[in-house]
Amino acid sequence: MSKKRKKRIKVLITKVGLDGHDRGAKVIASLLKEAGMEVIYLGMYQTPEGIVKTAMDEDVDVIGVSYLSGEHLVFTPKIVEEMRKNNLDDVLLIAGGTFPVEDIPTMEEMGIDRVFRAGTLSGEIMEYINKNVRES
Amino acid sequence: MTVSKNSGNLVEHLLAGDRRAAARLITMVENETDDHHEIMRRIYPNTGHAMILGVTGAAGVGKSSLTDHVIGKLREQGKTVGVVLVDPSSPFTGGAFLGDRIRLQRHARDEGVFIRSMASRGYLGGLSRATYDVIRIIEAMGRDVIIVETLGAGQDEIDVIHIAQTCLLVVTPGMGDDIQAMKAGLMEVAHIVVLNKADLEGTDTCLRHLQATMDVARFDEGAWVPRIVATVSVASKREHIQGLDELMAAIAEHQEYLHKNEAIDRVKFQRIEQELGLIFKDALQKLVLKGLKGTGKKKKYIQKIMEGKSDPYSVVEEVMKTYILSREERQT
Amino acid sequence: MDEARKGKKTSQREVDWDNYLKAYYEKPASFKSWSGYDLKDIYTPRDRVKEDYHRNVADAGTYPFTRGIHQNMFRGRLWTKREVVGIGSPEDTHARLRYLFEHGGSGLNTIADVTYEMGLDADHPWAVNEVGLTGVNITSIKDMETLTKDIPLDKVSWSLITASTAASVTMAQYVAVAENGGYEPAILRGSIQNDPIHFRYCGFRPACPLDLSIKLGADVMEYCTRRLPKWYYTTVNMYDLREQGITAPQEVAFGFGIAMCYIDELIRRGLDIDEFAPRFTFYVSCHIDLFEEVAKIRAARRMWAKLMKEKYGAKHPKSMQFRFAVHTAGCSLVPQQPLNNIVRIAYEALAAVLAGVQSLHCCSYDEPMCLPTEEAHLQALRTQQILAYETGVTNVADPLGGSYYVETLTDELEEESWKIMKQVEELGGMEEAIRTEWLDRQFEAEAVKRQKELDGGEKLVVGVNLFTTEQEKETPLGIQRVSEQSARKQIEDVRNLKRNRDMAKLSDAIKRLRDDAGEGKNVIPAMVQATQAFGTTGELLGIVREVFGYPYDPMETVESPFG
Repeated sequence: MSKKRKKRIKVLITKVGLDGHDRGAKVIASLLKEAGMEVIYLGMYQTPEGIVKTAMDEDVDVIGVSYLSGEHLVFTPKIVEEMRKNNLDDVLLIAGGTFPVEDIPTMEEMGIDRVFRAGTLSGEIMEYINKNVRES
Repeated sequence: MTVSKNSGNLVEHLLAGDRRAAARLITMVENETDDHHEIMRRIYPNTGHAMILGVTGAAGVGKSSLTDHVIGKLREQGKTVGVVLVDPSSPFTGGAFLGDRIRLQRHARDEGVFIRSMASRGYLGGLSRATYDVIRIIEAMGRDVIIVETLGAGQDEIDVIHIAQTCLLVVTPGMGDDIQAMKAGLMEVAHIVVLNKADLEGTDTCLRHLQATMDVARFDEGAWVPRIVATVSVASKREHIQGLDELMAAIAEHQEYLHKNEAIDRVKFQRIEQELGLIFKDALQKLVLKGLKGTGKKKKYIQKIMEGKSDPYSVVEEVMKTYILSREERQT
Repeated sequence: MDEARKGKKTSQREVDWDNYLKAYYEKPASFKSWSGYDLKDIYTPRDRVKEDYHRNVADAGTYPFTRGIHQNMFRGRLWTKREVVGIGSPEDTHARLRYLFEHGGSGLNTIADVTYEMGLDADHPWAVNEVGLTGVNITSIKDMETLTKDIPLDKVSWSLITASTAASVTMAQYVAVAENGGYEPAILRGSIQNDPIHFRYCGFRPACPLDLSIKLGADVMEYCTRRLPKWYYTTVNMYDLREQGITAPQEVAFGFGIAMCYIDELIRRGLDIDEFAPRFTFYVSCHIDLFEEVAKIRAARRMWAKLMKEKYGAKHPKSMQFRFAVHTAGCSLVPQQPLNNIVRIAYEALAAVLAGVQSLHCCSYDEPMCLPTEEAHLQALRTQQILAYETGVTNVADPLGGSYYVETLTDELEEESWKIMKQVEELGGMEEAIRTEWLDRQFEAEAVKRQKELDGGEKLVVGVNLFTTEQEKETPLGIQRVSEQSARKQIEDVRNLKRNRDMAKLSDAIKRLRDDAGEGKNVIPAMVQATQAFGTTGELLGIVREVFGYPYDPMETVESPFG
């Protein structure tokens, strides 16, 4: 299947659990849209099942999770498990927020493709997505 | 069960009700992959049976929250639902914020609901050929009702009337939407006018205006007279949500009307007519532009026009002759 | 952006001497304050010709209190060194409290976790994954007992940081424990954040519908005014608003707007302004632009004094005093080169002290990464202590007063804040601004602006868009993990409590709560009684929520056990 014109990168931005710090998620969603991507913003109080179900139906290319209340190690395995169960292995999974640097390799081992700490300039995120998003 | 990317395979799975297949096929059709036409050809015979509801209105009137409630009510009735949410793409960057979904997330885990967000990708008012195709795909997957939600305020933008059997136009009091809608003659075009946020000031006045417009308009004998329903779709307290049962009743009434009078056939006719038109336009554009682009002729033509040596009409006539005649010549 | 400043890895072997020279002659990138004010290269007496010292500035301790609310400021008493503590279970939090206390902390300060702020019991399906991750969950009186064990409540000053509608339950839980311990509520000293209106912007909208926020917030305020005269019943939180990315004048304007919602409600209930205003406090940010922050706070003091006197007719000087605690700006910190944060925090703490703060929390350097270890927590406390005991900035009240620059900036910030408050008035008032989501849009717009400033190099942050280095491999002072075991134990304890308590006694108390809420009474006394009968956070809040037409459970997952 060849790539035709009108291909846009579709990104899902979401939070999970009770964490309510959404400033970063909203800013990234805005900037991704300005960069020409189609952004589905789910906001707060999502569950791993809900996120993956949505990602499936919307056939997104990227799932971006925002973690700012120490819940990253709790929810990441659940999200990755849901993705595997539903064969979303070719969907890019990225995370942003607050974590100690030691947890980054752990998160990557769990299945996150790339972790962006607070303080990351948005260009870095755009570049990563553009370079690594799946073909088709 | 892995769903392969092979489109033939996907169509098979789709017809068996597979969501993942539906999601992938929708993407392929949005992106106009090589086998896009083949996909649609195979899907088409399995479509045309769902009830199609259109929901349109200006930004901020509460379309999504209404859609959310309608989905809930339909599910209570045991119906399966497909939803297509169309949001405008930025004309500059092509990006889009498909944020309406946030209001429908309570249905995210309901197997009986399939929600897909689409960016308009250049079609202001929402209904591109792709949207028609996407609705067909969801129909083929198997949904009793499909809701199409688009942004619309002016007459041109009420495109959704062509595809929806029952079209809901959502307005709110006091924001002038009602006046705008009346000016644009939308009152007569929509089947149900929903006055949402009916807890706001100005509701009574607005209702009177709407009713007055309806009274003056001329409707043919036996024609459907648009219903006006007042609703409150968003409230911090459950007890303040209103009008939903009346809305569902109005929808059911209109559907009954359509089926009783066989007006449903006219609706189906119009839908296909629209599709045909859009697909033709698409095909012709592709055909001509392909040729022009490849040879750099488009630029040359435009230059010619700028220099006053030609005009757009002459150019088109010339191009048409070249492309269509040459095909005819080839056939003989 | 100048090559000399672009991210150059320090691991480079070659030194670019041309760039070195450029760096030597380097000029600042901008001459604006953090919030965007154009600044002159120097301020002189000419900028102060219109100043009326006695009317507009005045000595510390004199209306309009621009220079400080006490005449002798820190000579009279140092600010309270209150480091926020909230780690895992009540036991774990208690331990950390003692640790800080033993090392010189002068005030106790505990913070609720997300589950508690949302009004959920530890065993709630949405809570089980997140109990204790960033604070403490107090589900029942037992938890509060554990938290306060062996601590003489008549001797300490305790700051309870629960901001949402759950603050009503927190207050009840504290009073319940105090009563059970034989303390007279009237002798209790401390504060409770209790600012549910603002907390919807911190991700707690389900727990903080506007009407319930005003109702419960005011219930706590009224209750304390009458029964806990030494207690500060609110700390209206402009800090969190600033964390959204807004500017200094917006912080003050929006914070005051929210404060007025509570004040209007208390007056509507028949309280006299001078009866309650002396115990009204604020939570303010101190961000990285030192002079702007000092000017902001001076402006806020002057504005508050004028508001209280002119709009509300306050007569008692204490009513007109802008009493505030500072939390250094979390959003100014970054995880890149984390130890740099210690320096940022020190500058921000300095601003707080120069501005005359009453109580200070210094972030620990790991704020943008994780919870603080004992070492990190201690470091934050030491920052305060060095400031207090070594630098001499405590010797003189309002040391920056009289600076042509600071006085001018104070005036400008005041003017801008009034403008914004007027804008909100024209929208129909703060409640309208909140309901129509106007405020949300301000936050969103400013947040995007801040990111673009960073992306484009308009605002510089060392380690982020300036002098970047390879990512470090470990967190310098270690990571504080929350014990999963503690969480599970707490959840199990809650389940046991619910199984073994006297349901008859509890039902009576719940009925009283429901009736009081339905009759528009102050619900705190009933909450105290229900707490003593082992009613839980979720239950107490849930009952009141139902009376007001909201679902029992903010997450709409659990049904009321009280039918």
